[in-house]
This record gives sequence, C-alpha cells and structure tokens, in this order.
Amino acid sequence: MPPDRTSAADSKREVADEADDAALASVMRTVPLGAAVLAGSMVALLVVGYLLIYTLVFLPRGPVG
Amino acid sequence: MSDTPHEVHESRILRTELLWAFGVGIFVAASLSMIVFTALTINVNPPSNVERIDPKTLHLSGEFAEQNLGTTVFGDGTVIVRAIATQFMFVPQCIAVPANRRVTLRFASPDVIHGLLITGTNVNTMVVPGFVAQVHTEFRRTGDLLMPCHEFCGQGHSEMWATVQVLPDDQFKPGADGRVSCAKR
Repeated sequence: MPPDRTSAADSKREVADEADDAALASVMRTVPLGAAVLAGSMVALLVVGYLLIYTLVFLPRGPVG
Repeated sequence: MSDTPHEVHESRILRTELLWAFGVGIFVAASLSMIVFTALTINVNPPSNVERIDPKTLHLSGEFAEQNLGTTVFGDGTVIVRAIATQFMFVPQCIAVPANRRVTLRFASPDVIHGLLITGTNVNTMVVPGFVAQVHTEFRRTGDLLMPCHEFCGQGHSEMWATVQVLPDDQFKPGADGRVSCAKR
C-alpha cells in the first residue's frame, strides 16, 4: 500500500468483489458436496490402506499381547 | 417465512458436516469393534505388563540369574523364555521356541533402555531397566528369525542382536530339566 494512503479500502484491488447472490447460491449448492467427496475419497483411501496392512500383514504375523 | 440465502448456505454446510461426523463415527466404531474382536478371539493386545525388578541385582539371583535364562518348558506345557538385554548383547544369543504354541517372552535390562523386535512377527517391545518386559505370542513359521535391539543403547548398538530359532514340534524336545537350547546348524 502506498504510504500516502490511509486504508487498503482506497484501492479497488484490495476490496473483496461484491457477491452476486445468485452466483453465490449456485456455488454453495455444489461446494459442500465437492468438499465432502474430495475429503471422503482421500480418507477412504487411507482406511483401505490401513485395512489391507492390518489383514494382510499384521494378522498373519500371529497374536501378540 | 422463507429462509434467506445465507441461512440456506449455512444449512447446507451444516448438513455436510453432520454427514461427515456420521461417517467418522462409523469408522471409529468399526475400528474399535475390530480391536475388541481380535483381542477376544485371537489374543491380539498391546503388551501391558507392569512388573518391577531391581536392575542392580537381577543377574545375582531369582528369575534372571544366568542358570534361568533361555527357554523353559513347564509341566503344564507352558513355554517361558527369559533373556537379558545388556550393552551390547542379548543373553542368551540364541533362543529356541516351538512353532504354533503359545510362548511367553520375558526380558529385563541391567543397564540402559533397550528395545527389541522379532522379524516377521508382531513381537516388539522396549526393555526398560527396573521393569520386566513381557510379550505373549505364537510363532507361525519355523526357521531362524533375527532379533535386533531397536533402541539406540550406545556405541555397540548395531552389534546387538540375537537369533530366535522356531522349531517344529518334533525338534522341540525339552531336556529332563525342561530346558531347550538352539539346535546346532
């Protein structure tokens, strides 16, 4: 910010875009679902990896306790 | 009265978060059930023995005196292995165990913290001076398994390892005193 300006709001570039309600509504219809699918598929991959190691490596090595 | 767009967005986000929490809840419940199930059916538990022993005198008398180290089979068929982890060796250097039988392994240290694992099995424990480390297991395959120290214990740490010889039933023959030594190979 130039030193002679007192607020970032002086610059158009620094101010958030105005939200268009219709556009926001359309984005918000898909964003939560997309986030859930992305996070869900990654966690599912981790869980599958854990289950494979547990059943194919850990259990065949015998009981321990 | 209709909801404002802001409230609609919030309710969608809340619904997604609840769905996620439900999925996580199912996973946590399934994991815990599996742990409990394997603990009850095939004895898979975290080793959790807390038993004190004086590290200054453990080699002088009692369970970890030299004549008691190694593998002993008791009258009721119980197999107990006792070994000392010390800088920088395991005593004894070779441990004979039977295949497909429950074995109790007991370790103690007179000096510093050691650790050990037996390759190809789930045996993995720390050996802390002052405590007896105890692990129950069953060896499923015969052959020689490496048992290295896996906790850095000093300059000779990398030289500290022993062999676990898993013997089939017909070769695992205790002597009159119940002791079993490694077969010469």
